Amino acid sequence: MDIKFALETFWSLAAALPLTLELAVTSIALGSVLALALALSRLSGILALDLFARTYVFLFRGTPLLVQIFLIYYGLSQFPAVRHSIFWPLLREPYWCAVLALMLNTAAYASEIIRGGLISVPHGQVEAARACGMGRFMIFRRIVMPQALRQALPGYGNEMISMVKATSLASIITLMEITGVAAKLISESYRVIEVFVVAGFIYLAINFALTRLVAFAEARLNPHLRAPLAISAELKGETH
Amino acid sequence: MNISAAVTTPVAIRVHDLHKSFGPIEVLKGVSLEAREGEVISILGSSGSGKSTLLRCINMLEVPNSGTIEVAGEAIRLKTSSDGRSRPADQKQVDRIRSELGMVFQSFNLWSHKTVLENVIEAPVHVLKRPRAEAIEEAEALLAKVGIADKRNHYPSHLSGGQQQRAAIARALAMRPKAMLLDEPTSALDPELVGEVLRVMRGLAEEGRTMLVVTHEMGFARDVSSRVVFVHKGTIEEEGPPHEVFTRSKSERFRQFIKS
Repeated sequence: MDIKFALETFWSLAAALPLTLELAVTSIALGSVLALALALSRLSGILALDLFARTYVFLFRGTPLLVQIFLIYYGLSQFPAVRHSIFWPLLREPYWCAVLALMLNTAAYASEIIRGGLISVPHGQVEAARACGMGRFMIFRRIVMPQALRQALPGYGNEMISMVKATSLASIITLMEITGVAAKLISESYRVIEVFVVAGFIYLAINFALTRLVAFAEARLNPHLRAPLAISAELKGETH
Repeated sequence: MNISAAVTTPVAIRVHDLHKSFGPIEVLKGVSLEAREGEVISILGSSGSGKSTLLRCINMLEVPNSGTIEVAGEAIRLKTSSDGRSRPADQKQVDRIRSELGMVFQSFNLWSHKTVLENVIEAPVHVLKRPRAEAIEEAEALLAKVGIADKRNHYPSHLSGGQQQRAAIARALAMRPKAMLLDEPTSALDPELVGEVLRVMRGLAEEGRTMLVVTHEMGFARDVSSRVVFVHKGTIEEEGPPHEVFTRSKSERFRQFIKS
């Protein structure tokens, strides 16, 4: 392996890092909002909302992300109605097509993760909140959601990692994110190993940072799962 | 409490002709009950008799099919919705009345992501909008009263069942309730932890708090309560001061029940 070439490759690929991160962050952030709405629809007890969310999850989880990207990028522009709609300035941009596909896709998976978190909150705790006179929204905000998030976080960490890797598919629709740049470098140099090893290393580094971030958030959010105060005090050799 | 005093004391909770069905099963078949201020009423009955449902109807955790419930003279308004089910007509009214009743559950139901102190101040601060500092001060006094002041910063999962239930009692007291509803507060506890919770409940009774207690603790029912109500198959089968019903009950079923 040519170290000098690998280093040059690294700097070329690093220049594409912001686009990769932007795709991942935007689609995860937008997707989480949609995911919450879908999860709440599933649990709403309203048949129409429930069926919509079920169908949505079935479709977007059951078809390949690449197919979804193609349908949105190549497919939507076939319809004059889309080309004349107010969304066209966004939908003709490959960047927004990629964000849309990634967001719609991650929302399907994440909605199930959030739903799992929501139903993990013991019903008795909701009842206790009701018995104190809390309204529905307050119960959701102060009792259910904090616990659901804690429960959902490990699973959501997985999904975020998947999304970081899934951004590489955006290269298929001309976006020059890390994989896109890597493919271009290979077509110029024919040095597959160096380029893809370096590209893989960069994804690994992003996901390493992401994993640490999730672990940190988990530790911060779950003080009640840590050792009780008395025990940790004993471990530190303190007495009281 | 003697009889003439009982008649002049205001009614804290009045339940009239309560009916409640779960699907085809009628759990309460016309129950009426009155708790005057300062009374401690023990509600006894075998499992499935409807005694917990009766208690849970009072703060609308279960919505009765028919009948009326009054708390401090105010009737909870119910309506029949389009699907034929009974619902509170005014959720705001229900929320307000709930905040005036302290509920203690069999399984404690403390919020597991909050410390004991946070559990106690949660509703006073967010429902009653009391200043936080004031709520903390009062919560600490309540935790001292139930004997777990040193556990204020612990999470529920780090406490024994008895400590959790005492924290739950402090949480209910923090709302300065007009009456306490206790739904089998000692049934989920190991035998050696029952005593500490009963002691706290006895203390509340001695303070003159109005309490409705669904319980299997015959000692508590006999020694602490001012009245005993025996629920059987959805109706009140026997009712009266403990010294009367425990010694000369007319109900064969009740005599059978206390023997077992």
